[in-house]
Amino acid sequence: MTPVPTNDNPFAGDNSGIQQRETAARWALRIGSYIVVIITLAIMLHIFIKGAPVVFRSQWPFVNTQFLTELPATLHVIEDQQGNHIETDVNGADAIKKKLGDNFRAEKTISYSGGGILGPIVGTALLVVVSVGVALFLGVACAIYLSEYAKHGKFLEMVRLAILNLAGVPSVVFGLFGLGAFVLTAPTFVDVPADRSVFSIPLGFTTLSFEGWDTCVLSGGFTLAFVILPVIITASEQCLQAVPQGFRETSMALGATRWQTIRYSVLPFATPGILTSSILGIARAAGETAPIMFTAALAFKDKLPWQKDLPPLPADASIFAHWEQSVARFFGIFTESVQALPYHIYTLAAKIPQNEYAERAQYGSVFVFLVLVASLAASSVMLRKRLRAKYRW
Amino acid sequence: MSADSTAQSTPPPVVQVRDMDFSYGASKALFDINLKVEYHRVTALIGPSGCGKSTLLRCINRMNDRVPSARVTKGEVLVKGKNIHDADVDLTQLRKQVGMVFQKSNPFPKSIYENVAYGLRIHGEKNKSVLDEAVERSLSHAALWEELKDRLHANALALSGGQQQRLCIARAIATVPDVLLMDEPCSALDPISTLKIEELMHQLAKEFTVVIVTHNMQQAVRVSDYTAFLHLGKLVEFAPTEELFTNPREKLTESYLRGTFS
Repeated sequence: MTPVPTNDNPFAGDNSGIQQRETAARWALRIGSYIVVIITLAIMLHIFIKGAPVVFRSQWPFVNTQFLTELPATLHVIEDQQGNHIETDVNGADAIKKKLGDNFRAEKTISYSGGGILGPIVGTALLVVVSVGVALFLGVACAIYLSEYAKHGKFLEMVRLAILNLAGVPSVVFGLFGLGAFVLTAPTFVDVPADRSVFSIPLGFTTLSFEGWDTCVLSGGFTLAFVILPVIITASEQCLQAVPQGFRETSMALGATRWQTIRYSVLPFATPGILTSSILGIARAAGETAPIMFTAALAFKDKLPWQKDLPPLPADASIFAHWEQSVARFFGIFTESVQALPYHIYTLAAKIPQNEYAERAQYGSVFVFLVLVASLAASSVMLRKRLRAKYRW
Repeated sequence: MSADSTAQSTPPPVVQVRDMDFSYGASKALFDINLKVEYHRVTALIGPSGCGKSTLLRCINRMNDRVPSARVTKGEVLVKGKNIHDADVDLTQLRKQVGMVFQKSNPFPKSIYENVAYGLRIHGEKNKSVLDEAVERSLSHAALWEELKDRLHANALALSGGQQQRLCIARAIATVPDVLLMDEPCSALDPISTLKIEELMHQLAKEFTVVIVTHNMQQAVRVSDYTAFLHLGKLVEFAPTEELFTNPREKLTESYLRGTFS
């Protein structure tokens, strides 16, 4: 039967409101996304506007070199009778006061807000290097074992669950763990064990004493390593699993041992992903404050870690003695406590009276910090792209 | 090795499976298998999907060890007269002498040269001239040398599917195994590539002993000297290929060959 053609629209809506709900849903989702984007941009813009003028200069060399190359210092602001403000450091203050003479009206000091932030930058860099080194070694070893060696079953599931849970532990708990484990009880070689030593094993020429490493880069780095460990294990395991099983079968069928198989036909192809995850781990480690508060970071330190105070040598000291002191200073990069960027920002923001000068130091530090983290993330993306192109399957 | 064994009137089989049962955990996959593979012959394993032909193949180089709970529960597998489940058998040595080619061509994402040299490298060969010589010999055997000799350092993944599979064969024979196991090597290839590999198999049999699993009965006829027909984990019939296809002794074989399978 041929239908009779009519002028009615056969596809007319039925006014049930279905289209209105579709529109409403679309707009709700769209608005949600816009809010996220706007807030993110607002944060970035705010930090850029407030922070960039601190770091950049309008004249050559366009960068505030003092801010990037000096240690934090107390800022002295001297006001004269005309209401002019002169910023100087502790050494310049007296000279300026003398020059002003009767013209001097008032002097303000603002802690940590003068000088630069080289100390925190160096400290954060050292902490990140130690923590990523430790976390990569432990994390990749653990991931390889879980993915390639461990037998599937209840135990493996439990280990996986434990690792996932570790990722959810608040970072301040890691800080306390680091304090107990690394600062107070980790084993170290000493001539005479300290009173607080948990126990010590005499080895003849030296003593292995469980008396901790004190607050230092090593303690902080190990603590941070445990913070980022779950991320690195989980990501590494996924990268290992993504390598086709055929590579393993083929390699084993050619007579390779399990380790040879992993070494030559699994790890090379998982490395790009593992490195990417480790760089994201760097960003995380650099940003954590709580784990280093008790284990490595100081609010203020007037020396870089390799500028440790050592007794001056007598004029006729042997080359060996000089060399020994140089080595001791060098190892300061592990055994000294440091300033770190996130903790420095916290100090500037919460521990000193707020004024325009403190705010300037705050935003400058935040800006530098953000640029460092962003460039790490960017380099991880680039590294992944290059390695992916090389090891494609 | 070949000169002595072929000179004898009845050379001992290179692979001998005796009364073997095999299970994956609680489920039994193979029942009472008896199979003899002669030197320098091509032996085909045929049968419907899930009949256990791949499992049987993987028993010969103990690739099933990779599956947890999979094991031989009865009988034994002898390769070159040695029970391969003996405690003093080194798996790496077994697999060096019993090579394998898989269904899916899976060259490593490395250069052609490194793919072929892989087996020798993991067995400790460092001498460049030995490696060069082995790569050339293996690629020639796999009928790839002429095509690829100018781009040995190109990535193996740039090759076509058929070339990749022949590269996998070259990789497997680089360690000069006695036996070459092939698990449906042509099932992912086009007819022309398949033909090339079938031609290759006759050549390979001159140097190696080939055991091939195939679901393609015409292929078994074309390439093999002996054929074993498996059904539901049992070896139904094992005979010279011509005999099995023209004059099967078992009713089950006959109905499978005719395609009138219940």
